[in-house]
Amino acid sequence: MLLREVGYARPSSLDEALSLLAATDGARALAGGQTLVNVMKARAASPDALIDLNGLGELKGIDLAADGTLRIGAMATYTEIAESAEARARPILGEVCATIADVQVRNRGTIGGNVCSNDPTNHLPPLLAAVGAQMTIAGAGGERTVPADDFFLGVYMTAVGPDELLTSITVPPGKSDGFASVTLGADGTCIVSAAASIDGGVRVALGCVDAVPVVLQPESADEQAVRAAVREARLDPPSDVHASSEYRAHLAGVLAVRAANDASHRARS
Amino acid sequence: MSTTTTTPTIAPDVVETEAPAKQWSGQNVPRKEDKRLVQGQGVFVDDVKRHGMGFVHFVRSPFAHAHITSIDVSKAEEIGGVYGTLTGEEVASLTDPFFQLSTPPGAHLEDYALALGKVRFVGEPVVAVVAETRELARDASELVEVEYEPLDPISDARRAQDGQAPILHEAAGSNVMWEGVYEWGDLDAAFAEADRIVKIKELHFHRFNSTPLECDGALVEYNRGTAQWTIHTNNQFPGFAAIMMGPAMRCGLDKLRFVTQDIGGGFGNKITSHPQLVVCCLLARKLRRPIQWTEWRTDFHLSMSHGNERWFHDTEVAVKADGTLLGFRTKALDDAGAWLRYEPLGGVIWAQVTPGMYRWRHIRLDFTQVATNKAPVSPNRGYSRMQHLWFTERVIDIVAHELDLDPVEVRKRNYIRADEMPYETPNGCVYDSGDYAKMLDVALDLIGWSGIDERRRDAEARGKLLGVGIGSTLDSGTNNFGQSRMINPELQFSGNNEVATVKLDIFGEIVVTLGTTPQGQGHETTAAQVVADILSCSVDDVHVRAGHDSYWNSHAGFSGTYASQFAVTGLGAVKGATDLLAGEIKKLGSVILGAPEEALELAEGTVRIKGTPEAALPFMACGAIINANNAGLPEDLGVTLNCRYVYRPQFEVPDVERKFGNLTLTYAAQVHAAVVEIDPETGAYDVVDYVAVDDCGKRINPQIVEGQVMGATAQALGAATHEQFVYDEDGNLLTPNFYDYHVPHALDMPPLQTGYIESASPFTPLGTKGMGEGGGAGIHAVCAAIQDALRSRGGAIVWDSCNPYHRVWEMLEHPERTRELVEVVER
Amino acid sequence: MEPTAATVSPARQITVTINGTTYEREVEARKLLIHFIRDDLDLTGSHIGCDTGNCGACSVIVDGTLLKSCMLLAVQADGASIETVEGIADDDELTKLQQSFSDRHALQCGYCTPGMLMSATALLRANPQPTEEEIRKALQGNICRCTGYWNIFEAVKDAADGAGA
Repeated sequence: MLLREVGYARPSSLDEALSLLAATDGARALAGGQTLVNVMKARAASPDALIDLNGLGELKGIDLAADGTLRIGAMATYTEIAESAEARARPILGEVCATIADVQVRNRGTIGGNVCSNDPTNHLPPLLAAVGAQMTIAGAGGERTVPADDFFLGVYMTAVGPDELLTSITVPPGKSDGFASVTLGADGTCIVSAAASIDGGVRVALGCVDAVPVVLQPESADEQAVRAAVREARLDPPSDVHASSEYRAHLAGVLAVRAANDASHRARS
Repeated sequence: MSTTTTTPTIAPDVVETEAPAKQWSGQNVPRKEDKRLVQGQGVFVDDVKRHGMGFVHFVRSPFAHAHITSIDVSKAEEIGGVYGTLTGEEVASLTDPFFQLSTPPGAHLEDYALALGKVRFVGEPVVAVVAETRELARDASELVEVEYEPLDPISDARRAQDGQAPILHEAAGSNVMWEGVYEWGDLDAAFAEADRIVKIKELHFHRFNSTPLECDGALVEYNRGTAQWTIHTNNQFPGFAAIMMGPAMRCGLDKLRFVTQDIGGGFGNKITSHPQLVVCCLLARKLRRPIQWTEWRTDFHLSMSHGNERWFHDTEVAVKADGTLLGFRTKALDDAGAWLRYEPLGGVIWAQVTPGMYRWRHIRLDFTQVATNKAPVSPNRGYSRMQHLWFTERVIDIVAHELDLDPVEVRKRNYIRADEMPYETPNGCVYDSGDYAKMLDVALDLIGWSGIDERRRDAEARGKLLGVGIGSTLDSGTNNFGQSRMINPELQFSGNNEVATVKLDIFGEIVVTLGTTPQGQGHETTAAQVVADILSCSVDDVHVRAGHDSYWNSHAGFSGTYASQFAVTGLGAVKGATDLLAGEIKKLGSVILGAPEEALELAEGTVRIKGTPEAALPFMACGAIINANNAGLPEDLGVTLNCRYVYRPQFEVPDVERKFGNLTLTYAAQVHAAVVEIDPETGAYDVVDYVAVDDCGKRINPQIVEGQVMGATAQALGAATHEQFVYDEDGNLLTPNFYDYHVPHALDMPPLQTGYIESASPFTPLGTKGMGEGGGAGIHAVCAAIQDALRSRGGAIVWDSCNPYHRVWEMLEHPERTRELVEVVER
Repeated sequence: MEPTAATVSPARQITVTINGTTYEREVEARKLLIHFIRDDLDLTGSHIGCDTGNCGACSVIVDGTLLKSCMLLAVQADGASIETVEGIADDDELTKLQQSFSDRHALQCGYCTPGMLMSATALLRANPQPTEEEIRKALQGNICRCTGYWNIFEAVKDAADGAGA
């Protein structure tokens, strides 16, 4: 409950933030804090310094480009996404954000924090993997873009390097998406989740079954095809107090079908 | 979820005593506690501050079982701002081990306030560090060097008696902490008469507790001149804490002053903080400064007051073909965790409700309590009765299931009947009053029993399995502590008591002090209602001091708030004290007004001559005369207007040999009905409808009573679905905080309807029965509903009290595994 | 040298306005906002019930936004305007919301109540006539162990009909 001593800085520009990260040993970015502060309370991780991103206007904002592409600032909160008119270009995003935890967490927690912490039970990594999001990363050398499929590298590990920051996430417009989960209580932590997206082909991304989202490309959105894809993935999910590996694997199959059905249904309507 | 309604839908079945013109009792008087609490001006223990206080942090064991080979606090103590430390060695030199309630081998446990030589559960406090700030104490604790030599832990109670099982307490020589055999009636005859014997190999009541939102805490000051400690704390049973702490600390009990004010929930889980309080006391004296202790959520989950985890093995039930239950035998294996703190009383307390709500007369229960490398077990809401009542309800449903009978009919056939009350159970407990069948009818009506089949079909059309279940339970209240002698005949406890004082001050203020330690039950309000009725004044004229202070009224031996008894013991004490005060007021009035006492009445805040309301002496005048203007009063007047009363319920010492006698004064009851819908593809389910019907006799404040019923329901729903203290094989707790230990939140709550009847108790001063714990009816009902839903999918038996989604899925996938637990033998 | 926003420092001077009163204090960067409020400013109405950000007993309103103060550092509140339960009412009178809580017996031990009141206050400001579902959703981040929540829903509904949220 009580943090170790830590340094703190509150930069007012992205460049300043990147400089501080590069210059300060053991520095970590502080986004919404809805995960990191708890980690620090438990002393499971104790960065030497926190670089507070909450003053960076450049990382806020939800914009629609002329071609309908949705650009979401990394520091956009779940509430902002859920309430954003622009974000309705991809309705599944706001719908899922609205089910994360509770109002207080949604008012402060950010999409950037969610994907960069990459806890296997987080909602947004599988969702963004399914919709084919592009992650824009800034560092000393400038900006680069990484597709979601290459972004999630391991438990708590992403393509963002130690002196880099995720600045925005770009998502094409679309509504043929679905999301299904079994959670620990209403709006609770995911036990297993599945996101599906139909855009020509079908993409299904499974959460909570591996270190990173497991992305499948079934031949169609039909139940048989989806189940076959899940089987072929040869999942070996973790066991914990909430679910055995076998149960998670079973849920993955069921939820993948439900997410795909949801996406199909929306595709037709 | 659809809307909730709470509607008492049945007229109260009240036993009329007398009905004066205006009664505060029975009214929803607004709570006196509320104003300060909604303003954020409550004083909870962490709000109490003292200049120069030192913050304590406990270094806790990372191992479930290990020798402590060395402790080095020097690096921690070198840090500026660190005031000092305390180790188990110091504790052992300054104190004696805590008194053990058990007989040997449990009696041989040497329980000190900090671990000595060995650690026996993950999270066990080993060293205490005190510093200028909270953060510094936490930092310094990381510099304390403790060397451990790990030992094999045992975390499954069923293995605790195996030959190779590691022994927790060498002095005991065994992991068996207590065992006893209870047997009444004639089991051989019952089983000979039975048409069927239903055998249930294993049932399991899981480990959880009520996780009050506020954890334990204390601010302890030491007076060097008088060697007296003032312990500001939220311990809910100061009577017990004092009895444990005084002898250990080698000081008189009067040296331990307990002060409580607002407590953020207790539910029994704040009874056994005495080891930590001893540490704080020793530190306050050693370091010559006040000591502040805040228990964090993880600390609480790791170490404090887990509820009894109990296995029921080799159950055999003797039953007639028509569902008449004759008797049962079972072997109860209770997991006490690493230390006996209040245990092994759980080994007898279940016997308050031996037959549950049913009329079977032939019962045998072999009770064995073992130690394991887990947090110590202590009372949790429904303490030990809930486990047993869950067992009886499971038996009812499983027997009904196996004999293809309706569980409702089996209950009605076997419930103790209203016309049999007061009812003596096979072991001599007396159920004071009640009408269980009537409550069941109310519950069935409210849940829409007649329309269940249609609901089932509707759910099926949506791809869901619907189930409905009944959970009935008792809330026995006001213990006869003589039952402790059935655990250990040497114990010198029996009966019960509670204290109150009521006085009339110089300006006419009526001031009440209670011996209790309320944690939200509204004692200030209900006590005022009782006082106002007796003195015929307004509740607004009655000031009840908040909380408990052992120096106000010198607590009686059992003072505190626990075990569903305030409405009997606390209010009994208030009534007694107020009756005395009323008598004294009339006596004074008689002298001043010149009329005999029989001619006087108390009305509108005065004592006056009946029929001549002008001849009145206001309370203010009474107070002024006695306190400051008393010349000329008769020498033998004997009026002080400061009355103390200790309520003592009528009990005998139980017959220890036969394990027979009345163990509790009152028996409130609850009957619940739950409707669940299971998603058969995932095992996930929702409770979609819920009814709770209660009977606690006379209700002093109906809204407060209903609040307790609702709260108990919510906690039971949490326990039934997700709340568990789960350990891995190495003794690590996998649910150490609210992230993994999921308690119900707002979106989890089903719609709720409530109903009630009132069967007054013939044994209590006000006709009230203690209530508040509830008895876990929600757990019984949800288990029954799940089993009902699964009937059409292989007929799995619900054998565990907690059914998270993975367990339901396992029952769907492999019903045969649970069916293997049950066998029906035809005779 | 005075730490500016853009230097890393383990402590800094902050200026925070709480319930209309402005405080200037030096705080360690590691100090949680809830501890600053309770321990440094002696505003003990906001409570701590967990250590993982789940229970909501620490809920406060920061610059108009409902947040859990156990997941903010005090230094992050520099320049902010915060409302806690002590500031809900103007004086010693209770607001309609507070009175409704009492009338409906929506509190027993009172420990979760300040957080509940802040969450309900935030809800009623944004949504003066919430449905029960919206009330549940708004209170999802506040754990209560005493009441079962049902009376709390009723109290918020009652308050929704009047002013004083």
